[in-house]
Amino acid sequence: MTAPLLDLRSVSRHFGGLRAVDDVSFTVSDGEIISIIGPNGAGKTTLFNLLTGQLAPTSGSILYLGKDIGSLKPHHRARLGFGRTFQISQTMMSMTVLENAMVGAFLHISAVREAAEKAESKLELVGLAEHAGRRSGELTLGGRRRLEVARALAMEPRLVLLDEVMAGLNQTEVNDVLTLVEKLNAAGTTFLVIEHNLKVVRAFSKRVLVLNRGQLLAQGSADQVLSDATVIEAYIGKQQL
Amino acid sequence: MSNPDLSLDQLHAASRRGRVPTLVNELPRLLGILVLLVGLVLLFIGDSFSLNVLATAFLFAGLATAWNIIGGLGGQFSLGHSVFFAIGAYMTANLILGYKLSPWLALLPSMTLGAVVAALVSWPVFRLRGPFFAIATMALTEVALALAMYFESVTGGAQGLSVPFKAGLTNMIFRDRMSYAFLMLGFLAVALLIFAAIRHSRLGYALQAVRDNEETAEAAGIDVLRTKLVGMAISAALMAAGGCLYLMYVRVVDPPSLFSLFDVGVKVALIALIGGIGTTYGPLLGALLIVPLENYLRAELGGAIPGSNLLALGFILMLTALYLRRGIVGAILKLRDRSWRILR
Ligand SMILES: Nc1ncnc2c1ncn2[C@@H]1O[C@H](COP(=O)(O)OP(=O)(O)OP(=O)(O)O)[C@@H](O)[C@H]1O
Ligand SMILES: [Mg+2]
Repeated sequence: MTAPLLDLRSVSRHFGGLRAVDDVSFTVSDGEIISIIGPNGAGKTTLFNLLTGQLAPTSGSILYLGKDIGSLKPHHRARLGFGRTFQISQTMMSMTVLENAMVGAFLHISAVREAAEKAESKLELVGLAEHAGRRSGELTLGGRRRLEVARALAMEPRLVLLDEVMAGLNQTEVNDVLTLVEKLNAAGTTFLVIEHNLKVVRAFSKRVLVLNRGQLLAQGSADQVLSDATVIEAYIGKQQL
Repeated sequence: MSNPDLSLDQLHAASRRGRVPTLVNELPRLLGILVLLVGLVLLFIGDSFSLNVLATAFLFAGLATAWNIIGGLGGQFSLGHSVFFAIGAYMTANLILGYKLSPWLALLPSMTLGAVVAALVSWPVFRLRGPFFAIATMALTEVALALAMYFESVTGGAQGLSVPFKAGLTNMIFRDRMSYAFLMLGFLAVALLIFAAIRHSRLGYALQAVRDNEETAEAAGIDVLRTKLVGMAISAALMAAGGCLYLMYVRVVDPPSLFSLFDVGVKVALIALIGGIGTTYGPLLGALLIVPLENYLRAELGGAIPGSNLLALGFILMLTALYLRRGIVGAILKLRDRSWRILR
């Protein structure tokens, strides 16, 4: 049996007395689309930061293809195949849209022309090709989120982590991103997606993880999880389905 | 060639693909500017006062361009670049006085030492961000000054070191000011070429990404610390080369002229800032404006009220900070964009 793509074993991260991520274990197989849901402050973003190396775990281990990556820096993990977007959209504001995407493309390409070509093709995927020459700071919030997706994709990642990438997008844009994720997934990319919109979660995710107060409350298919009494109590009671 | 399945939009997109400026696109412009500067030197043949000002302006344009690699592209606002400049000057002086080496041959060891020292001292300082980084680099200058005063055997202490006048190309010492103007122009050309090459390379994009957003940069696979160190080392190597040329120009170096803040460390940052930080030709424009102006002010005002030339320069910096956030080049680009929009 080959090692799963990701294997989290009792991963915790404390901030002082706060257990932002508390003894979380799960595995991710190659080719999955997994949604992570949970109320505000549940620890979802912290979990992402542990996976991509922005934060180090207080305890527990994170295995990627069987190797412990817990002590690797973010740029090393990027090289291994992690691509991500940030909840608070982070673009290089003084650089153009094309240049932003190129920064991702340079991960595996050193020639400028080739990097630009790769970047441009990813911008086309997310519908930003028309804006290639504009400063990224001039984009709308939705545009900046899509640009982050393009930058992550330009890294040709094996695993993509999207942190509330749909927030601030209009319905058409949401559908476009959904279609894009499904298409890339069909081509072999694995996705971990933090998402508040449960319609979106139902639409594309076969497996859903529910975090609450740092703990993994439930996992399973969307239908299973969303009918689970503890989940409803912790989370859905406060939200519109 | 024509494909009926492609819409006009797709054709446009396809033809735009990969259209980013590269070094090859930049070279004609760089060459054109250098030709203009050669013309400027020739214009002042025989006028040694003006040639002096030009040589100084070219030197500082080259130094500010070197600073611009890490300060502009990399966003690391160093105020301590005089340290690497001084390393170049002292290293060259020692190699000439101790080993009778030609300054041309002293260039390489000077640049190497500058780069190595830069990487070593920057390592801890790069943990600091924004103003804290700038202040720490300023403190570095003070430490370097103290060291230069202390290690008299290497630096000549407060007296400094002087290189005897032996004119000749191999000695890099000339009787006429025009040769120095061309020497400094050569240095500027190399600095601009290196800056443009970096700017249009993977390293240049990495430096800019680090400047704009460190967190995103590292998530995109950029080794932030390594990128800053490489940028700093190249920048410092060029500063050291400038220090070598400066020594051959004035033939004396002493701590006050190397380390008093405004003379080099702050001035190069100021010149880049006024001209247009992070732009290829901003530092050149800044130097062509500031160096002659400073000369004029020192001659006209400095005598009457000591320090008033510095006051005037501070005032110009304030105006730049208030009205030309991206320097002269930034303002020109904005004007061009605006008129472009109107014309379309
Ligand atoms: N760097 C930090 N230092 C201290 N506390 C932190 C830090 N990052 C997160 N926290 C805290 O950890 C908890 C989990 O935060 P996190 O951002 O992971 O939640 P989340 O599930 O992403 O929430 P949201 O849905 O609002 O984005 C919160 O209480 C938060 O205040
Ligand atoms: Mg979050």
